[in-house]
Amino acid sequence: MIKLEKINKTYQVGDSPLRALADVSLNIEPGEYLSIMGPSGSGKSTLLNMIGLLDRPDSGRYWFDQIATEELNEERRAHLRGENIGFIFQSFHLINRLTAFENIELPMMLAGLPLKQRRIAVADVLAMVGLSDRASHKPNQLSGGQLQRVAIARAIVMRPRLLLADEPTGNLDSRSGAEVIDVLEKLNQDGITLITVTHDQKLGDRARRHIRMVDGMIDRDQGGFSVTPENSDMPENSPEPKNSPEPTKSPEPTKSHQPTKSNDETI
Amino acid sequence: MNFRDSSSWIFRALWMQRTRTLLTIVGFSIGIAAMVILSALGEGLRVFVLNEFTQFGSHIIAVNPGKTETFGISGLLNTTRPLSLSDATAISQMSNVEEVVPLVMGNAKVKYHQRARYTDVAGVGGAADKAWKLEVAQGKFLPKDDLQRARALVVLGSKVKEELFAGVNPVGSFVRIGSERFRVVGVVAPKGEFLGTDLDDMVFIPAGKGLQLFNRQSLMEIDIFFNPRSTSEAMADKISQLLIERHGFEDFTLTTQDQVLVTMDNILSILTFAGAGLGAISLLVGAVGITTILMITVTERTAEVGLLRALGGTTQTVRMLFLGEALVLGLIGGVCGVLLVGFLLLLIYLFVPALPVALSPTIVLGALGISMLIGLLAGSQPAASAAKMTPIDALRTE
Amino acid sequence: MKLFDQLVFNRQVFLRHRVRTLLMLLAVAIGVASVILLTSLGEGARGYVDREFSALGNRILIVLPGRKETTGGGPPMYGASPRDLTLEDANALGRIPGVLAVAPIVAGTTTISHSSRSREVITLGSTAAFFAVRQLQVGAGTLLSARAESEPLAVAVLGVKVKRELFGSSRALGQWVRVGDRRMRVVGVLEERGESLGLDMRDMLVIPVRTAEQLFDSPGLFRILLDIAPSADSDKIKEKILNVIRKRHDGEEDVTVISQDSMLAAFDNILATLTMAIAAISSISLLVAGILIMNISLISVSQRRQEIGLLKAIGASSRQIKQLFIGESLMLISMGSAVGISFAFALIALFAGLWPSFPLQPPVWAVPAALLVAFGTGLVFSIMPAKRAAALDPVLALRGML
Repeated sequence: MIKLEKINKTYQVGDSPLRALADVSLNIEPGEYLSIMGPSGSGKSTLLNMIGLLDRPDSGRYWFDQIATEELNEERRAHLRGENIGFIFQSFHLINRLTAFENIELPMMLAGLPLKQRRIAVADVLAMVGLSDRASHKPNQLSGGQLQRVAIARAIVMRPRLLLADEPTGNLDSRSGAEVIDVLEKLNQDGITLITVTHDQKLGDRARRHIRMVDGMIDRDQGGFSVTPENSDMPENSPEPKNSPEPTKSPEPTKSHQPTKSNDETI
Repeated sequence: MNFRDSSSWIFRALWMQRTRTLLTIVGFSIGIAAMVILSALGEGLRVFVLNEFTQFGSHIIAVNPGKTETFGISGLLNTTRPLSLSDATAISQMSNVEEVVPLVMGNAKVKYHQRARYTDVAGVGGAADKAWKLEVAQGKFLPKDDLQRARALVVLGSKVKEELFAGVNPVGSFVRIGSERFRVVGVVAPKGEFLGTDLDDMVFIPAGKGLQLFNRQSLMEIDIFFNPRSTSEAMADKISQLLIERHGFEDFTLTTQDQVLVTMDNILSILTFAGAGLGAISLLVGAVGITTILMITVTERTAEVGLLRALGGTTQTVRMLFLGEALVLGLIGGVCGVLLVGFLLLLIYLFVPALPVALSPTIVLGALGISMLIGLLAGSQPAASAAKMTPIDALRTE
Repeated sequence: MKLFDQLVFNRQVFLRHRVRTLLMLLAVAIGVASVILLTSLGEGARGYVDREFSALGNRILIVLPGRKETTGGGPPMYGASPRDLTLEDANALGRIPGVLAVAPIVAGTTTISHSSRSREVITLGSTAAFFAVRQLQVGAGTLLSARAESEPLAVAVLGVKVKRELFGSSRALGQWVRVGDRRMRVVGVLEERGESLGLDMRDMLVIPVRTAEQLFDSPGLFRILLDIAPSADSDKIKEKILNVIRKRHDGEEDVTVISQDSMLAAFDNILATLTMAIAAISSISLLVAGILIMNISLISVSQRRQEIGLLKAIGASSRQIKQLFIGESLMLISMGSAVGISFAFALIALFAGLWPSFPLQPPVWAVPAALLVAFGTGLVFSIMPAKRAAALDPVLALRGML
C-alpha cells in the first residue's frame, strides 16, 4: 500500500539546516501494525507526516496505492487524505466549540456528505470507542482518555485504510492510555493499517513491526507481517535477519542501514 | 462542504467570540449607517429641490430675450431685441398652447392711504394664477384681458395685504403703485418661499402696466404652458419658428423645463454622491476593522486550519470558510446599519419634520450589497493567508 | 513606571503583532487625515471667496434700485423700478465725503458682430471709474477715457473671450464692430482675468454709459458702485446715500445699499458652518477607529493574561496595569495620528502644486479637533479593556502557564 523511496527532508532551523529524513525507503503492506521509535529529533514524526501526506519530501518518491503522490496537487492530496488516512495527535486537536459529535463528523462534513449519512456513521464509531453517551459533550467536559477516544472516532469515521497515531498516549495517564491502545489495536485487528510513533517503549513493543529511527534514517526494521485468515492472499513477508533484539537504545554509532526487509514485490 | 454546513460552521465560529464579533459589527454598522444616512440626506435634498421646481407643472417652456448662455440673468437686463406683448399674444394663439404668461418684474412702492411698502411687483397675465398654482384667498385673480389693453388692476400677496390693510378686506379699494392708481381685485393665499424669493411679498399687475411702470420695452420672460399631447422638443421648435418669423432673427433663448430639471438633477446628484463619499470614510475604517479582527482570528485558529486540512479539507474550503466569516460580518453589519438609519430617520422625523430625507429601497439594497462586497474584500487577505497555510506548519504551532 | 520605559515596553508589544498594530494605525490615520483634508476643502473654499472679494482691494458699496421690506430676504434683484436711478443721482452720490469714486452701470444684452462673426454679449455701460473700482486692467489699448462720463462716444472695450471669438488672433484695436444698431471702435481689450463675483469679465463688453443709455433706450441705471475710503465708516456713508436719494427722489427711499463686507460675511458664515459640519461627520470615522481599538485591546488582554498575571505577581499594582493598557492605546493613537497628519499635509502640498489657484488650507482648529476626537474616543474605548486587565486574578492567570 505504501512505498517510500529515498525520501529526504531538510528543515531550516535558525541558521543551520536540519536533515530530518535522509534517504529513507520503506514499504508497508495493508493491515500492518508498525511502531516507529527513536530519540527526539530522529525524524519519526516527520516520517509520519510524510506518510500522512501532510508534508512533501524534498526529494524521493512516495507511492500510495500505486499513486505517485508527488504528482498530485494540494487539492488531490487533501482528497486522498480525507478518504484514506486517519490522524490521531498527541494533543488531540479537537475543536473546543464543537461537541464530540460535531468533532467526529468533521471529515465527513468536509467531504460534503449529507447529515443523515453522517449521523449514522458517527453513531457507529462512537459505539466502537464506547462513548455513545458522550456525543453532545464538549471537550471541556471530557477526560483526557475520552478526548483521545473522540479523536480516534473522528479518525476512523470515514473508514480510512490507514491510521497514523503520533504519541497517542503522551498526554494520558496509564489507565486511559491503555484504553486508547486497546481501541487502536482492535481497529487494526479489523484490518486497518496502524502506524504509531511513540517514546514509550512498552507501547512500541506491542506493535508487530518495530522501526527505529536515528538521525533521520531507519536504524532498525524488525518484526513483520503475520498472516491473518482475511489476508491470506497477501504474500508472507518472512521475518528477515534480526539485529539485536534489545529494545533499549544501542550505544553503537549510527550506521547507515538499509531496511533489512526485502519488499520488492508489489501486489 | 455543503452550504448548510458551511453556514453553521461560520455562525458557530463567530458566535464563539461574541464580544469581538459584536464590536466588529458595531463599528462596521456605524460606517454603513453614516453612508446611508448621508446619501439619504443628499437624496432628500435632491427630491425636495426638484419638487420645488416641478410644483409649477412640467409642461413649461420659457422664452427669454437675447441669446446668451447665462442662466436666467439676461432677462433682467435691457436688450436691443425686445420680447413684446404681441409676441406673447401670437404664441398664445398657437395650437397645443394652454396658457401664456408674460413676465416683467421689478420693485416699487405700494401705497394705501398712509401705509406704504416697497415690494416686488410682478407684471403678469391673467393665467398666472393657474400656471403658478396661486390660490386666491379673497376676490379673484387678474382677468384675462387682451394683453395690450391691460387695465389698472392689482392682486395683492398675503404679506402686502397684511401690512397695508391689516384685517380689512382690500377688494375694491384703490392703491397707488408708482404714480398710478390700481384697483385691488384679489388677494393670494400664503405661498411661502421659492428659492429665496418671498412669494407673499409681491403684488401682481398686468404685464402691460408693468412695462409702463418700469419704463421698459421688453418683457423679461414669457412662460408658455402647453398640454401634454405635445412634446417639449416639438413645442420648442414651433415657438422658435414663430418668433424667428416675427423678429427676423433668433434673438431669444428657449428653455424647457426638462433642461432645467436635468441641470438641477446633475448638480444635486453631486450632493448625493458627496454625502455617500463622506460616509464612505467611516465605512472604510469599519472595513479595516473587519480585516484586522479576521487576521487575528486566523492567527489564533492556525491549529484549527491545520486540522481541517489534515482531515481532508482543501485550500478552497478553508478560504471559503474565512471569506464566509467576513461576508457574514459585513452583511450583519449592513443590516444593523440600515436599522440604525431607520431609527435615526424616525427621530429626525419626530423632531425636525422639515428636514428632507428620502430612504428609497434602492439605497437600502445598495447599502446591503456594498456591505457584503466590502466584507468580502476586507476578508480576502486573511482568507488567503489561511488558505496558504500548509497543514504541517499549522499543526505544528501549538 | 517611567514614561520612557513604558514606551519601550509598548514598542515591543507592537512589534510582536506587527500586522494588527499597522492596521490599527491605518484606521486612526484614515480618520485623522480625512478630518484634516475635508475641512481643508471647506476652508480653502472660504479662503478663495475671501480672496476674490478682497482682490478688489477696496471697499465697495453697491446701490440697487428698489427695496425689499422683508427682513432676511434677498435684495431686490430685478433692477426695475418706477423711478430710475439716474446718472445725476450717481454724480450726486459721488460728492459724498468718503466716496473715492463712483461707477454708474447700465446693463443689457445685445449682439456684437465683426465681419461675418457675431454673438450675443452682456454689455455694461459705465465710466472710466468703473475700471478703477473693479480693478480691471487692459491687456491691449486703453480703458474708457474720462470723456466717457458725459459723452456718448462710440468706443468699446472688449473682454478677452469676446475678442477671441470675433477676431481670433488678429488685432482688434482700432477695428470697427457693430454693437446693436450702431458702429463702435474697439479701443481696448481687457486683461485676462477670470470670474469676479459671478460676472465673467472675459465675456463682456464695456461701453460709455451715455452710449449704453441710447443703445438700450433707457435712462435707468442697473447699479451704482461706490468705492469708499478704507477709513470711512460704511454705515455712516450708507445713511448719507439714503439721504441724498431721498432728497432727489421726492422723499422716497427707493434704493437698497449693499456693502461688500456684509456679503462676504454672509458667505463666510455659510462656509464656516459647512466646514464644521464636515468635520463632525468625518469624525465619525474616528469613532469607528475607537471601537476597533477597544476590540483589539480586549483580545490583547485575554491573550496576555499570563503576562499580566506575571506582572502582578512581581509587584505591579492594578493601577499600573490599567495605565499600561491605556498608555498602549494612547501611544497607538499618537502614532496613527502622526501618520494621518503627515499624509494629509503631504496631500495638501501636492494639491497646492497642481492647483495653486485653489490652495487647500486646514483651518487652525482642524488638527487640534481631530487629535481631540481621536484621543478622546481612544481613551474612552480603552478604559474598559484596561479595567478588565487590572481586575485579573494573578493566580488564575498564571495557572494558565502550566
